[in-house]
Amino acid sequence: MPPPKVTILQEEWERRLHEVHVSKQDLNRLVMDYLVIEGYKSAAEEFSQEAGINSSVDFDSIESRMNIREALQRGDVSDAITKVNDLNPEILDTNPALYFRLQQQKLIEYIRQGRIEEALQFAQEELAPRGEESPEFLSELEKTMALLAFESSPQAPPTISELLSPAQRMRTAGEVNAAILESLSQGKEAKLVSLLRLLCWGESLLEERAEFPKLDLNDGTFSREGK
Amino acid sequence: MSGRHSRSASIPIPSAGSATARTMSLENAIPIPSLLSSRLPATPAPARRDRDTSPDDRRLPYTPGGAVPPRRIVPRSFSAGTGAAPVPTFEPRIIRATTTTNPRDAACIPLPLGTSSSAASVSGAGLPGSTSPVRPRRMSANMRSTTLPGSSALSTSAQHRSASYAHTAHTPSAPQPHGFPRPAYLEYSALRDLLQSDATPSASASRHGLSPSLAPSLSLSTTTTHPSYFGRATSSPSPYPYLRRELTPVADSDEESNASPPPVPPPGASSSMASALAEYPALRLPTRWSEQDRHPSLTVSADGRDLTFFGQSCAGDRDSAAARANYPMPPACGIYYYEVEILHRGSKGHISIGFSAGDVRLSRLPGWEKQSWGYHADDGCAFQGQKDGSSYGPTFDSGDVIGCGIDFSQNRAFYTKNGAFLGMVFDSIFPAAATPFELFPAIGLRHNAESVRANFGAAPFRYAIADHVRAQRDKVWVEVMRRPVDWGILSARDAERESGEQREREEHADAEGEAGAGMVRSGLGLGSAGNVLEEEEAKAPLRKLVLAYLAHHGYARTARAFQARCAQTGSVLVPGRALATVEGAGAGAAGEEMDTDEGEFVPSSEPVPGPSSAKADADPFTADLETRIAVVNALLAGDVDAALTSLQTHHPAALEWDGGRVLFKLRCRRFVELVLQAGEALRKVREVERELKAASEARAATDGGTGEHMMNGAAEADEAAMLDGEDGVQDEMDADLDMVGAMDIDDNISTPEPISHSHSAPHSSSTSQPPLVASSSAPSAIPSSDTDASAQLDVSSAGPSSSVHATLSAHAKSLLHSALEYGQALEAEYKADTRPGVRTHLRRTFGVVAYEDPERASGEVALVAGQGARAALAAEVNQTILESQGLPAHPALETLFRQAGACVAQLGLMGVGKAVFADVRREFLEE
Repeated sequence: MPPPKVTILQEEWERRLHEVHVSKQDLNRLVMDYLVIEGYKSAAEEFSQEAGINSSVDFDSIESRMNIREALQRGDVSDAITKVNDLNPEILDTNPALYFRLQQQKLIEYIRQGRIEEALQFAQEELAPRGEESPEFLSELEKTMALLAFESSPQAPPTISELLSPAQRMRTAGEVNAAILESLSQGKEAKLVSLLRLLCWGESLLEERAEFPKLDLNDGTFSREGK
Repeated sequence: MSGRHSRSASIPIPSAGSATARTMSLENAIPIPSLLSSRLPATPAPARRDRDTSPDDRRLPYTPGGAVPPRRIVPRSFSAGTGAAPVPTFEPRIIRATTTTNPRDAACIPLPLGTSSSAASVSGAGLPGSTSPVRPRRMSANMRSTTLPGSSALSTSAQHRSASYAHTAHTPSAPQPHGFPRPAYLEYSALRDLLQSDATPSASASRHGLSPSLAPSLSLSTTTTHPSYFGRATSSPSPYPYLRRELTPVADSDEESNASPPPVPPPGASSSMASALAEYPALRLPTRWSEQDRHPSLTVSADGRDLTFFGQSCAGDRDSAAARANYPMPPACGIYYYEVEILHRGSKGHISIGFSAGDVRLSRLPGWEKQSWGYHADDGCAFQGQKDGSSYGPTFDSGDVIGCGIDFSQNRAFYTKNGAFLGMVFDSIFPAAATPFELFPAIGLRHNAESVRANFGAAPFRYAIADHVRAQRDKVWVEVMRRPVDWGILSARDAERESGEQREREEHADAEGEAGAGMVRSGLGLGSAGNVLEEEEAKAPLRKLVLAYLAHHGYARTARAFQARCAQTGSVLVPGRALATVEGAGAGAAGEEMDTDEGEFVPSSEPVPGPSSAKADADPFTADLETRIAVVNALLAGDVDAALTSLQTHHPAALEWDGGRVLFKLRCRRFVELVLQAGEALRKVREVERELKAASEARAATDGGTGEHMMNGAAEADEAAMLDGEDGVQDEMDADLDMVGAMDIDDNISTPEPISHSHSAPHSSSTSQPPLVASSSAPSAIPSSDTDASAQLDVSSAGPSSSVHATLSAHAKSLLHSALEYGQALEAEYKADTRPGVRTHLRRTFGVVAYEDPERASGEVALVAGQGARAALAAEVNQTILESQGLPAHPALETLFRQAGACVAQLGLMGVGKAVFADVRREFLEE
């Protein structure tokens, strides 16, 4: 029998919240970080003026990063690769797994568009040699080629069919984005997202031990279990 | 601003007629500031500026064993030594303090010169005196940075004291029994500043140069002194109720505490800290072996570190002699570590090093009894609460240094030998089902003359424990960062948080029906593709949070740019979502998600008029934002009238909110502004007087017509410059405003009319005043005499200065009268109001009259009159407008941060070791 949960009353919890020291400037920096990492270029520019924050970030790099992301999300992998190389050729040179991921995405896009012959040719010329490099690449290649077998069938197994999903595009875009951010010595995730992770982690840990007011971020109010 | 006059009736200002009639009596009754100023001490109240030391001190790199004195202290003491007269009297006393043998006595060491008494007088009444380990420490920091003028000897002595401590730390031979800095490895705990290694906390504070604010993540608020003016019942769930308990939200994020030291309110700072800490007495670190909690055969050395077995060696296998340290190891350390040097192994080497609960028998070696753990010298075995050990490490002998670490984040322990890691040992020190109990460092000996010497952190450790702890902290952080963002947890209603899965499922079914309310559902149990989607979807609510934050603080251009971009992104993402549902990932939720997509560009409680809301200009949210910004900027500029007018036009509900709190405070502020204007005018009069006097003296001296002419010319030029100087004042003010930054959008925005008034200097008499809101009932004297004065000034600039003087003087008088009459009307109106907050605030407001230049006075007055007070009021009005619209008083983003920090701190205090390795400030705020 686990020890009984402690109950933290609203008032006590409010004091705890108040004890957390955070200033508006702190929060402004978090917001700035968010705008930059998430690619809101013009908002970041405005914010640096309005809030008087000096950001070490080159705002133009935000834009090219976003262009790359959009190219991937609309399926234009070649354009994305060109743009990544324009930005910094080392990113793909030093990251073969990422480059493979992009090539795989290109193959997927061929298949999605029904350009089967081009898909086959591309696979043979570009991807097959890389599949020999690593078993992981090979298995990914096989999975991708399996798409052809299920081309017109809605019964494809989920692991195969998910390659055609927007999530796959997003994942590829996300990996490229992270690699670019890393090349720019920035965090690969907005700190606000990390903060959400921490909050999920902390609230669920605390939930095992205590009854306390939880935050509903929809409206910024607190609620309590079994109220 | 057509609404201005029609609304003016609500501001009671005495009629103009009475103003002139009572001129003389008023002047006699109320001391003119200038007369008072020379007699008044600069400030009777402690100025609280100690915050300015915090950001750096917090990050002091620690040197193991405290061999290097804290950076901050040293320069200070040097400057004290060179600049001020040294105060040698204190030095010996300090050193004696460190040689006290009993740590419990040490707590009573008198603080040098008046620190304790000052602390008592500064701190709020009714606090547990010295029970809080940190309060005195803060006090001492206060003492150094906030000494009253004229008490430099006091501050010097405090600095001197810290200097002598630093010196002690440098000298290895100096006896240093239990006064030692918090060991460096503990810096990795988010709750580090709650951990007390020193029996004399204030000494430790000055030695460490610790941030006077309690802790980065736990630094305690400073606002509890101002009781709620209007005891407002907070209904649950209430938005941001924690900020409503005080009137001036100085300690929340609206205040730029990092940029400039905020006006930190008085005594309560320490009082809230004391009360918060009083709940957690368990954060004292072990500093020595306990004199009481030991087997009689064991002797503790004077410095508390050595344990020696004296007497009849234990005969039977079951017989031993153990001792425990004076305090348990706080789980809030994350990892606690101490080392033991084997001074004398004895013949058998029956030595056990470990830890035990407080009630374990002292006649047994640690590890043999339940709730005790030990590593034994004779066989190298590790014992976990039973007679049989398991082979763990090497044996150890005289001269070896054995380290013992308890990793609360893993619920395990480890040992080191002569600086080498021996591996993790002991599983589940705290069984999951058990109520947490206290664990003390413990040693067991069995034979005569066996002797060990412990290092609880007073000296450098042999093992690189700081690296060890850092690595473990990083590991925990990686774990935290692997945690998926589950928006369901963060946004769900109460019931969904119930752990019962059955119920959860039912609730989810229900929730699906109401998901249109802007709730983004997270897919459950999806594959990796689902996770990517989930993460993407978690970003939609995050966008909403950021936008609401920008709107809250009035970053209008950023908000617009952000909104526009979100609209684009949304259109990119929408087809993706549609595809996702075809894939079956989130079937059924597609419709809601689309809705959410549209709605996410607007703060949640705003009406969402559909897709058109993405157009920034037509957005009611933007329009509202601009009026709000206008109000705030007007207040920052001291133009209460413009703010009131705008509020009455656009946000009448805010004035009624919470029993008219804001209206009341705005009126009080208006009074202060009037007093400031009058004060400014008076200063001008005196300036002219001085010039006239100088001119006449010069005339007497030169005795020539041309000289007179020149002097007059000079005086006039000065005057003109002085009047032009208003612009200078204005510029200064603008600069100030930028610093304050509560709403730093006062330019480049097409603003409604009110904002234009924000540029009239509040304390200037000659710039054109905005007509008073209450001009119909108010002394028309103010605006009219104002313009008269200006007109006459224009004329007089060509004439003799004495007429300028007369005009100015009349103008100043009329300003003063208006101010006083306004104040009297205010008092009369709220006379019957018995709410304690109202009384206090009124009294404080009227206190401003007593100062010649309240804005530049220090202490309490400046808090009421200065730019900081304007900013605080502006922030409060901003909050109240939002609240009156059903929005939170503080952005949800801020609460998000606070909630995360509070969860982690609470977990750490409850003994969840790994939580202290998730340090919100360090991870998110520090570069």
